[in-house]
Amino acid sequence: MSWQQWRKVIQRALFFPSQANRDLDDEIRFHLAEETRLQSERGLADGEAATTARRLFGNVALAKEETRAVWVSTRLEQFLQDLRFGCRILTRSPGVSLTATILIALVIGGNTTVFSIAHGVLARPSAGVHAPRLATVSWVAENGDIETNLPYPVYTHFLEHSSAFQPIAAFDFARLTMTLDSGSYALRAGIVSPNYFDTLGVRLVKGRSFLPDEAKSASGLVVVLAHHIWQNNFGGADDIVGRPVTVNGQPATVVGVAESNFRGALLFELADLWIPLTGEARDRLQVSRGTAVAMIGQRREGASLAEAQAQLAILWTQLQQARPDLKQRFKVRLVPYSATAGGNSIVSTRGNRMLAVFSVVTALTIVIVCANVTNLLIARAAVRQREMAVRESLGASRGRIVRSLLAEGLVLSVVAWVAACLFAWWISKGVVPFLVSHPETSAPVVTPDLAPDWTVVAYALGLALICTIAVTAGPALRTRHYQLLPFLKVGEQGVVQGRSRLTHGLVVLQLAFSVLLLTSAGLARRSLSLQDSLDVGFDTRNILVATVHTVAGATTPESNGRLLEQLQNQLGRLPGVEDVSYVPGRRLSSWVDFPVRREPSDESVLAVDNAVAPGFFAAFGVPLVAGRDFTRATHSSSRSAIVTRQLADTLWPHESAIGKILLTGPPDRPARAEVIGVVENAYFSGRGTDGPPRYIFFSSVDRPPAPGETTFYIRHHAGLDGMAPAVARALREADGRIPIASLRSLETEIASEVAPFWILATLLTMFAGGSLIIAAIGQYAVVAFDGRRRTREFGLRIALGASSRQLVRSVMAESFRLTAIGIVAGFALSVGAATFLARVLFGITPTDPPTYLGVFVLLATASLVACYLPARRAARTDPLVALRTE
Amino acid sequence: MAKTRQKPDLLQGTLDLLILRTLQWGPQHGHGIGVALRASSEEVLIVDHGSLYPALHRLERQGWVDATWKISDRNQRAKYYRLTATGRRQLAVERSRWTRLSAAIARVLGPA
Repeated sequence: MSWQQWRKVIQRALFFPSQANRDLDDEIRFHLAEETRLQSERGLADGEAATTARRLFGNVALAKEETRAVWVSTRLEQFLQDLRFGCRILTRSPGVSLTATILIALVIGGNTTVFSIAHGVLARPSAGVHAPRLATVSWVAENGDIETNLPYPVYTHFLEHSSAFQPIAAFDFARLTMTLDSGSYALRAGIVSPNYFDTLGVRLVKGRSFLPDEAKSASGLVVVLAHHIWQNNFGGADDIVGRPVTVNGQPATVVGVAESNFRGALLFELADLWIPLTGEARDRLQVSRGTAVAMIGQRREGASLAEAQAQLAILWTQLQQARPDLKQRFKVRLVPYSATAGGNSIVSTRGNRMLAVFSVVTALTIVIVCANVTNLLIARAAVRQREMAVRESLGASRGRIVRSLLAEGLVLSVVAWVAACLFAWWISKGVVPFLVSHPETSAPVVTPDLAPDWTVVAYALGLALICTIAVTAGPALRTRHYQLLPFLKVGEQGVVQGRSRLTHGLVVLQLAFSVLLLTSAGLARRSLSLQDSLDVGFDTRNILVATVHTVAGATTPESNGRLLEQLQNQLGRLPGVEDVSYVPGRRLSSWVDFPVRREPSDESVLAVDNAVAPGFFAAFGVPLVAGRDFTRATHSSSRSAIVTRQLADTLWPHESAIGKILLTGPPDRPARAEVIGVVENAYFSGRGTDGPPRYIFFSSVDRPPAPGETTFYIRHHAGLDGMAPAVARALREADGRIPIASLRSLETEIASEVAPFWILATLLTMFAGGSLIIAAIGQYAVVAFDGRRRTREFGLRIALGASSRQLVRSVMAESFRLTAIGIVAGFALSVGAATFLARVLFGITPTDPPTYLGVFVLLATASLVACYLPARRAARTDPLVALRTE
Repeated sequence: MAKTRQKPDLLQGTLDLLILRTLQWGPQHGHGIGVALRASSEEVLIVDHGSLYPALHRLERQGWVDATWKISDRNQRAKYYRLTATGRRQLAVERSRWTRLSAAIARVLGPA
């Protein structure tokens, strides 16, 4: 067809169809008038002429329809016509349409939000990383343990011999002190191979990145700064390249500045500056980590992930054979790069499981809403049965009817999709920052950009299409069972439908899934409250935690020990401070991996080991049940140790542990330690385990730590908000070269542990609450519609003497049967789901009675209300009106 | 000429041919075309009016006829169809096709 004709067709279909219809009507009317005139001229009376003319013409409606079919003979035109028709139908029953639209919009919006969160956090690369085909090297052991860093020689071997995976960069992480004129700063540093920036595709806005043999030369240390450091600490100075700085007490030169927002490849290891990765640099900076590095690289163009991984696996095997000292229990695995991929942080390992949970929640809510909307549309379709029967008798094929129903559903879904995208955008701008800024979730330092991008919008569209198909399948299926004649003969309300299995099945489905979501949310909340109410064994309030870097202030372990003692004293003298102590490192270790035993032949018991300063238990407020605390005096003989009561009871049941000797370390080379004190059980390093772990504490005075990070625990009087600035001032006055890395309260630190669970519980509660409301409304709608269609039956029953109370009871008994089935099915599903959830949540049993009881009461009440209201209305039917209604 | 749905091709094409031929005599509205066909075939061909209009609209869509609206003497709107140049060419084509077809059928049937 030519362009002209296309234009006419589109015009007709979209803009002037009513005009075309009017024209056709006029044309046929003229024809009939002419024929009537002809017949009159032949001698028939007027009325007879008209009927004869009609008869000769044949089926007027069919002829018009066939003519229209000529206009819309292409699929596209038919489709457009269906869409217009769909819009008209939807506007005719605005209540149903609006409800359905809102429901679909809400569920799509909620789900796309979750999806965009997951996508934003789990799938996107870090800011500033532009290279394609990046992959992270991950190491996996047979038992599932994941390691990220492996010794440096492994990296050089890969770098030299790999062809499918090139270039490869290596990196590690450390904390350094940078000293400027303005003061000392505790910074996080990335220790990187020279090709790091090039491999990741990061631009440098000033200067250059590292040269290959730069750090080997004796000319001094070089650093690349992060953009914000350049802006904040150097004022964005133009002459930054070549400026001297002091890092960990050593002189260094700035050679470049990275592009803005680039903080490293991984979300959870943000860097403020980068130094080259060589043994010399690390030695000079006294960075005490081992020589293990993480690796990231690009697949060569044309090489698939599997190919590259296979090649690396071969190289790895070769290396292990040539260098038995490098043998490890890990296998190499390539993971496609994203800001959170491949690591062993909580997000990387638990992240997938949480995503699985959310996917299921998503699917459930979609099913619930689709079931609901289907019921609404079925109910509406029931009213249109007569219309359908008439259409079919006029010659419309079943396929045509189904197609027009599909178009209606599509219009609904598109409107809902637009609403949903707006909703999701609003949530990402409004709700998520609220979630992230809540005090309990203060952990993430960088807020990922969560505004919906094309992936999210496409996902929403996919959901919308699924919803369309789901909600139109219901009414379309029903059209198969239409019998023409009964509908043509009786009125709209006359035919009693009988129990409709599909509708009721959908109601049961919704209730069951709502129960499932409610119990999951309930269990999540329960887990949270269990964690919160857990007695950690000490008063967590009024303990300030200060982490400092001592590298710039001391060079040897001994001088570091003296420095720390001095700081401890000075802090102890501050007004309002009760007790002060410190531990080396950023926080107390919580790894249960330290073997202790009584005799060399004994099986070892695993404990958590930490080195602490004297006064630690006083600062924490955990009492000693036997023996004494560490003192400042050093012991030349065996090391002294303090154990928790649980460990003492395990090793020496029914005996006093004081004075006993225990052995630590490997069985062939044990180290001895003497127990000088037993302390009460407490969760010193966090609530993550079931039951307080066994702790063994060593004195940091015996073996002073090397200069580096140290954390002070300061217990102060209640209610002193000025404590933090006073502590900061005191530390600065004691030694200006020592920066404070962080200052926080112990309460905040413990609370932030539960951040992921809190997010999970909150989201589950929102979804569950929404589902409950939706399911209740759905049930209400079904009962109401049933009631309306059975008006005649009710009127009859009332006329025959039934009391309204009897009627209400009978209606409610019928609908409550559905509720009962739904609850039972829901509980069965919940028990199954809870066993899976128990792996993600903390401390819950799958059949937690209070939760199930609560859910039962909640759902039963909601369902009761939903059934009662329409039942009451049905019982009020005036029998005279009902019997006369058609 | 009753229309059945089973054999659209043969009869539909024939109806198109007849309509085009009728319009060759001048513009006409739908009813008039039916009357003219009846008259010129001496009451043999009685058009099913229900199939006339779809055919007319199809011809209009294909561009072989053109339509204009006029007011009849009874003050009613009437749609008059007129042959276009393309339609004229198509008429010639259809005509020759029909001649070939009827000759072939005659040959098959053989001498009476």
